Amino acid sequence: MHWSARRGAEVAAQADFADAIILSVQGLGHSFTVNGKAVPVFQGVSLDIARGEFLGLLGPSGCGKSTLLQIIAGLLPAASGRVVFEGRPVVAPPPDMVYLFQQYSKSLLPWRSVCANVGFAISTRGLSRREKRERCLEYLRIVGLDGFADHYPWQLSGGMQQRVAIARALAAEPKILLMDEPFSAVDALTRLELQALVLDVWTQSKLTIIMVTHDVDEAVFMSDRIAMLGPRPSSVTTVVETSLPRPRDAISTRELPRFLKLRHMLLGTLLTRPGEAGSSIASRDSDHA
Amino acid sequence: MRRGIPIMRRVPLGLLSCVAVIVFWQVLSGRAFVNPALLPPPSRVAPAVWNIVASGSIIEPLTQTLGLLAVGYGVGCVLAIGLGLLMGFNRHVYNVFEPLVELLRTIPKPALVPPLFLFLGIGAATKITIVALAAFFPVLINTVQGVRGVDPVLLNTARTFRRSTLSTIAEVVLPAALPMILTGMRVSLGLALTLVVLAEMLIGSTGVGFLILDLQRSFAITDMLAWVFILGVIGVSLNAAFETIEHAAVPWRSK
Repeated sequence: MHWSARRGAEVAAQADFADAIILSVQGLGHSFTVNGKAVPVFQGVSLDIARGEFLGLLGPSGCGKSTLLQIIAGLLPAASGRVVFEGRPVVAPPPDMVYLFQQYSKSLLPWRSVCANVGFAISTRGLSRREKRERCLEYLRIVGLDGFADHYPWQLSGGMQQRVAIARALAAEPKILLMDEPFSAVDALTRLELQALVLDVWTQSKLTIIMVTHDVDEAVFMSDRIAMLGPRPSSVTTVVETSLPRPRDAISTRELPRFLKLRHMLLGTLLTRPGEAGSSIASRDSDHA
Repeated sequence: MRRGIPIMRRVPLGLLSCVAVIVFWQVLSGRAFVNPALLPPPSRVAPAVWNIVASGSIIEPLTQTLGLLAVGYGVGCVLAIGLGLLMGFNRHVYNVFEPLVELLRTIPKPALVPPLFLFLGIGAATKITIVALAAFFPVLINTVQGVRGVDPVLLNTARTFRRSTLSTIAEVVLPAALPMILTGMRVSLGLALTLVVLAEMLIGSTGVGFLILDLQRSFAITDMLAWVFILGVIGVSLNAAFETIEHAAVPWRSK
């Protein structure tokens, strides 16, 4: 509690120290080619992510936030700008960084047992088969899947499959975890459970997390800081500190005045069409929340 | 998940049509307008099958035929999977081989027996080559399709966990493409069996194919039909065995 509550202030105070910045996004731009013409998706995106921070990357569908995350992960090349992770420019997936896919069912290996899927993240060097299995079981315990080690992914529910994917990401022991709409494919209750699980894991480790989401509620609930991308061609339009106390509670945190105020402000910004003044929540059917 | 030996599921209704054909055949061969020497009834073919099996004379021709089939099919599949992985994984390899494959795969393989015969002689080499060629193309095409169809999410997963290219192929691409590869292999198995029998008829003097032709030439029609029946049983058994292996190897496919 003490350690978590200090986070926000600490982040701001140490922003000058290079060591406090684990990852730096510098003037990133990307465009798709449509009929031979380059259509910009986002441009001039700059962000510094502090060590140990939980950053929410919020934006409407099609603003390129998943693409941005894939560039950060080194899975896609940047058209312009660069990403610096621990002092080194990212040109390929770097060590100590793991990308958690939205489509857990496509990201797990169906021919491997749950345990062996987690083992996919662990380098085989210097570990006996038994040691490796024990480490896999340990990570499965963390995500609450003890007893499912020898099941196959396709025998599990969607929420459990995403837990396997989370256990596998943790097993790689990254310093930074990139999550691409990690809970968007599971039902509402499972989503709340998984949010709590990820927050627990993050609190107990020294992990830095960047989470892409289009769910304002989720972004406010989980993040230290939220960077918001505007409509295409997008750039970071707003960065807000959530300044909500930790540990966060699925029910009471969402009832705090500060939570409601942030939610109101961010949703208002998201639902405002470009060039339109003020909030127009009533005029849009809201499939984002 | 579907269970059990696949062929067993199809037996009850399918059995009716088989029985009907046998009954029709039996009735037909008793008629005056059918020469019983050319179409012996099932009641005479059945004992002949039993004789071939019981006397042990089934062993030698069958061993020769299945031996050629196994070697040719094995060589064809291994080469096809190897090239298929390369073609599916590497765009340049694909561009180099794709026109050649398109050209060669459309040639009916039996047409290649006479030219191959000129180079490889009447021995096993020609037969194995033709069987391998027949097995090669369906497996190759399915392997290429399977590899190219591997979900990008799966490949990116391997990348984010920093797998080497070799490890990605062995641990991700090959298993992911396995269902497609096995489908190709099942198609190839039928073709390979056809080609091995045909090759035996066209060249050499061994195996079930040669025997069927030889029995026909010496008017041993009952024995000839008995061997045709045995080949049918072999085909069905191979296919059933293959489907069982397929279900065991890719249990996630039905999901």
